[in-house]
Amino acid sequence: MKPGQVQYAYRHAIGGFFEFPTENARQLLPAHLHPVEPHYGQSVLSVMAFDFTSGSVDNIGPYGELVLSVHVAPRIEAGRPMARAAFYPFLVGTTTAESRAHAITRWHLPHFMHDIEMTFAVEEHDIRVAAAHGGAPILDLHITDYHWEPVEHFYQASMHDASGSYMATMALNAPFSENEEERGSVTLHEHPFTAGLVIDEVNTTPFRELWMRDGTQTFDPLETITPGTR
Amino acid sequence: MASDSDSTTMTPPPTPAQAPDRAAQHDYDYSNFYYSSSDDLFAIFEPYDEWWYGSARTSGYYLFSQPMSARPGPHIDLEDQLTHEKRALLNLASYNYLGLSYHPEVIAAAKSALDHYGLGAAGSPILSGTMDLHLTLERELAAFKKKPAAMVFPTGYSTNVGLLSALLRAGDVAIMDQNVHASIVDGVIMSKATPRFFRHNRPDDLEKKLKGTTGKRLVILEGVYSMDGDTARLPELVAIAKAAGARVMIDEAHSTFVYGEHGRGVAESFDMEDQIDIHVGTFSKALGGQGGYVAGSQGLYNYLMGFARSRVFSCALAPAVTAGVLAALRVAAREPHLRTTLWNNVAHFRSLMSDAGVDVGESTSQIIPIMIRNDRKILGIAQKLQRAGLYLQPIIYPAVAKHRSRFRVSISASHTTDQLNQAAAILVDTLRAEGVL
Repeated sequence: MKPGQVQYAYRHAIGGFFEFPTENARQLLPAHLHPVEPHYGQSVLSVMAFDFTSGSVDNIGPYGELVLSVHVAPRIEAGRPMARAAFYPFLVGTTTAESRAHAITRWHLPHFMHDIEMTFAVEEHDIRVAAAHGGAPILDLHITDYHWEPVEHFYQASMHDASGSYMATMALNAPFSENEEERGSVTLHEHPFTAGLVIDEVNTTPFRELWMRDGTQTFDPLETITPGTR
Repeated sequence: MASDSDSTTMTPPPTPAQAPDRAAQHDYDYSNFYYSSSDDLFAIFEPYDEWWYGSARTSGYYLFSQPMSARPGPHIDLEDQLTHEKRALLNLASYNYLGLSYHPEVIAAAKSALDHYGLGAAGSPILSGTMDLHLTLERELAAFKKKPAAMVFPTGYSTNVGLLSALLRAGDVAIMDQNVHASIVDGVIMSKATPRFFRHNRPDDLEKKLKGTTGKRLVILEGVYSMDGDTARLPELVAIAKAAGARVMIDEAHSTFVYGEHGRGVAESFDMEDQIDIHVGTFSKALGGQGGYVAGSQGLYNYLMGFARSRVFSCALAPAVTAGVLAALRVAAREPHLRTTLWNNVAHFRSLMSDAGVDVGESTSQIIPIMIRNDRKILGIAQKLQRAGLYLQPIIYPAVAKHRSRFRVSISASHTTDQLNQAAAILVDTLRAEGVL
């Protein structure tokens, strides 16, 4: 850990990348961010779920977190490390008020302002997450495994609110599995949490599935981004 | 566990000296370098070169664009770009499906045209670049395809770009298989039409993507998909397109002169040629030359003459190439045994792969993917194959999805059974040694 870094620990961090229309992605993104397009006209919706085991700097305790993001072009600058991928989280949900307040204050992440319920059902080769709010389903995510190996991956997250634009660089360390076997799925339900998405236009099969077990997520200090730059 | 040694939430970016050692750059690919964060256009070069020279090139990217110093036959000479060694290799990487690139009649025709017409056409096809050879090729090609007209383009890429940007307009809708060639995607982008993609070869998804669309719509398919070697589910896809009132285009770049009783392509093999409105193909695959064509109605030809900008504003196909392609077309039409030999070779190589348990995906054509499904491993395997005497190109992201990396075998009628046996033995031995089998 270096000065200014913040670290979280998790049992499971899973994600699925789903194609959805760039038209929808641009509605969710601030103007200075550009969606990554695996196919022209198709952007990437990232659905990630974390099962954090123990808090962080603000003693927030164990909690679950659901993150909906648009995959965006990473910032590339001479002399700086290059991220494996970059995301713009457009809505985050957490299972506790403390974790929500922490992430809003520290990381400027946009949140669904109610506690959500998350259940993680782990099998030998797959994991299912169900997220709901007040008993109303938000989404169901199913991720499968492949080959496991320990990794350290670097990612960027971009945030934007009335106070400005920000970027967080994070390292995820854990045994990691990634595949493009298209065995997983997502079911998005009509709910205020998913209101920004044209649900019928989101592919329900992920073209990539990611799963990390018993690892850490370490954030570098938040950076302010000059308006007008990418 | 969680810790925090700094209560400040905003700091300047770390300097290079502070940046942690993040050396796993083999995870990176071209997609990481699409944008830079500077207002200087050239600022991306330094980090790109850092990646390229630091890891990408030596980890295997040098395998791309290695110079060949021979015709694209079963045996080639290739220069290793790292060591500058020249290697004699068995070649399973070139298209040249019928071996016509160096057929004696083709070479003779090209030489004769070179003597007669000189090197280049010296003009756009609509100005001074059209020669009698071009018109002869268009007439014979139209007759071969059994269409009223065929138009020749300088390359396959410019064919699709010119055709689609000529036909489609803002407000029109192009509904494409997600695996169509980049030239089709680029042509649609240039046209400003709305692009929609359906999942590869999935009639149900085509139906879903067509639903609710109105106005002028074009459904775009390929005969044989270039990375997977599978063929379009033409009867179901065309039926859905027609039921919705959409026009249909098929790109038979890899299937013309290969599929069908007379070699007219996958559409012929399904007896559906007349149900498809636009037929596209290339001369660089089975004919071993260069260029592309659009075959269809006379009205389509006439309109493209004025609006296909990639053709209007390019120099016409070089006369020597045009003459060579014309000769190759005549040989392909005249000698169906070349297709028979090709398909026998395909069946033989496929059986060798099957016997060894090699994963060839969904291929049913002369393009046989050897699925590796490991982006890091495939580059190392490619190097070992070359050292063992076999030339195969690794295909990785962004040409295919990550974890769908593969070698693409191109079988040719010019391969002998012995050559295919030898190539298969090298391939299988190497895959076993690398733990793929």
